[in-house]
Amino acid sequence: MLKYTIKKILSMIPMILIITFIIYGLLELTPGDPISYLMDPESLARLSDAQIEEMREAYGLNGPFVVRYFNWLFRLLQGDFGYSISSGVPVIDIIKTGLPATLELAVASLIISTILGSILGVVSAIYKGTIGDNVLTVFGMIGVSIPQFFFGIVAILVFALNLEWLPVGGRTDPSVTGFFDRLEYIVLPSLVMGLSMTAGVMRYARSSMLDTMNKEYIKTARSKGLAEWRVNLLHGFRVSLTPVVVLIGFRLPTLVAGSVVIETVFQWPGIGNAFSTAVRAQNYNLVMMLALIFVVMTLFASTLVDIVTAAIDPRVKLEN
Amino acid sequence: MKNKETVISVKNLKTFFYSDGRCNPAVNGVSFDVKSGKTLCVVGESGCGKSVTASSIMQLLPNNARIEEGEIVYKTGDSRGDIHIEKLDRNGKEMRSLRGKDIAMIFQDPMTALNPVYTVGWQIEEMIRNHENVTKEEARKRTLKLLADMGIPDHEKRIDQYPHEFSGGMRQRAMIAMAMSCNPKVLIADEPTTALDVTIQAQIFELMEELKEKHNTAILMITHDMGVVSEMADEVAVMYMGNIIESGTAKEVLGSPKHPYTEALLRSIPILGRGKGQDLNPIRGVTPDPFDRPSGCQFEPRCDYATKECSNRMPDEVNLGKTHMVRCIKYQEVSKNE
Repeated sequence: MLKYTIKKILSMIPMILIITFIIYGLLELTPGDPISYLMDPESLARLSDAQIEEMREAYGLNGPFVVRYFNWLFRLLQGDFGYSISSGVPVIDIIKTGLPATLELAVASLIISTILGSILGVVSAIYKGTIGDNVLTVFGMIGVSIPQFFFGIVAILVFALNLEWLPVGGRTDPSVTGFFDRLEYIVLPSLVMGLSMTAGVMRYARSSMLDTMNKEYIKTARSKGLAEWRVNLLHGFRVSLTPVVVLIGFRLPTLVAGSVVIETVFQWPGIGNAFSTAVRAQNYNLVMMLALIFVVMTLFASTLVDIVTAAIDPRVKLEN
Repeated sequence: MKNKETVISVKNLKTFFYSDGRCNPAVNGVSFDVKSGKTLCVVGESGCGKSVTASSIMQLLPNNARIEEGEIVYKTGDSRGDIHIEKLDRNGKEMRSLRGKDIAMIFQDPMTALNPVYTVGWQIEEMIRNHENVTKEEARKRTLKLLADMGIPDHEKRIDQYPHEFSGGMRQRAMIAMAMSCNPKVLIADEPTTALDVTIQAQIFELMEELKEKHNTAILMITHDMGVVSEMADEVAVMYMGNIIESGTAKEVLGSPKHPYTEALLRSIPILGRGKGQDLNPIRGVTPDPFDRPSGCQFEPRCDYATKECSNRMPDEVNLGKTHMVRCIKYQEVSKNE
């Protein structure tokens, strides 16, 4: 187990290098010049070519991109993450404030969607074909097809503006306020994000459960005279868990990177938002750092899925 | 001398399947007795209703199937008296207390009949603890003994292994260990050796034979293999399209078949040692569509003896002697061929 984890982490290193190199190359290929985002077009037009060249030099934007990539890499290894080109703020500060907020939201909605999704999926599989199952299926379809931003806006309208139960958006600083005071801020965004993901988990859990319940060993379990709940949960649900775990595990990185919409709607100060602006401004230092986080997280999630799968399914061996 | 009395008596059992508003009378009036210390083999081709008969006794039918008529009486021989299984709630407490405890079942494919995520020991202990009020340690001790009794070598280690670490034959032994764990009066075996190779098959039969002798267990064996029948059966019931068309002792049915179908079945078996040049005699035609059955005798369209009269109605049971029963109006002609 330990040996496997170490091996897996070591194998991540070349993958991280390759992926970040590709991202750097893609940034290079995008049209436009980061300098043009630094000042308004009028002042930019007044600058001479020599002055612009000087600025590019100062921001480290000159030279072949391969060289610049390795420069970035070496500085990274020395613990120097650089400064945001557009704001001048150290990249590390942006990450320090944004990442916890994003992770908080991701974990909350992951918990909501996992618990709700698997319970509803299993229930609708057990009561397959009944009205309850059909209602859940319709809700699942709606959940998958309604865009998050719309769902979010409706939620704000109802729960924040009309009922005034919860704040419209924002997040308070953890160092300033207590846990329970902050709780009300995360309820809406995490529910909106969690519920829209619940639909997917539910459909997956349902089909996995149905598949399992058709297996011969379920008949064996019944032939032993076991109570239905034991047959359903201990023999059915336990086995159908594996594919659901895989799905949830691979959702983790998507959650971190893909919460741009929710973060915008709820003015949540996370890194999803920062990432989308940074890409548009060709803000190399910030984009590369965030990309690195996403890559590490994705690889980490896949390792985690492997380990958890091996833990819950004895047929899976980690050594291979 | 152990008593060979009837433990399960099935009378005129009718189990129908419903799908898309159509009805398939999969088991259409079947009667037989399962006696303790004896093996009854129900033999027939795929789809003849033999597995459904077994599932009906266990009330393990799929949701679209229903017992329409007839009775399944389980004679407990104790204070519970005679239990009418067909009247019990499918997954009710009473039915569940019978399943596994009084009537246990083993299945066709031991590869898929054990839950892959639990150890073999856990699954057997679960059965014991479900029916008897014993401690974990006691259940484990009994499981170890069972595994040893079933001839599983290295059982101290095997008990904590998962099904995928067992070979097919060992898995079936584990299944039998589980089925026998609460000393059931009846063991239903639904094609227990179909998925195993022949040498393993023989070992499993030996084991079942041994258990039958030792515990006076009644065995209801479902099979399509005439070889299995001749090896295992004390009594035989031949099923075709939801009816038992011939039954009797193994000697009677295999030795002097009276029904054209039984006769044709026995004739269609290739004989070992006769070489590849031998003539095979398959039964002509195909089994009819279960939703569109022949009006009279179900075998009539494929039967060599068929006359007009045969398509009128299903022939009644004719008793020849004490145990031999046949449902054919031309049975006298069949016997002439011997």
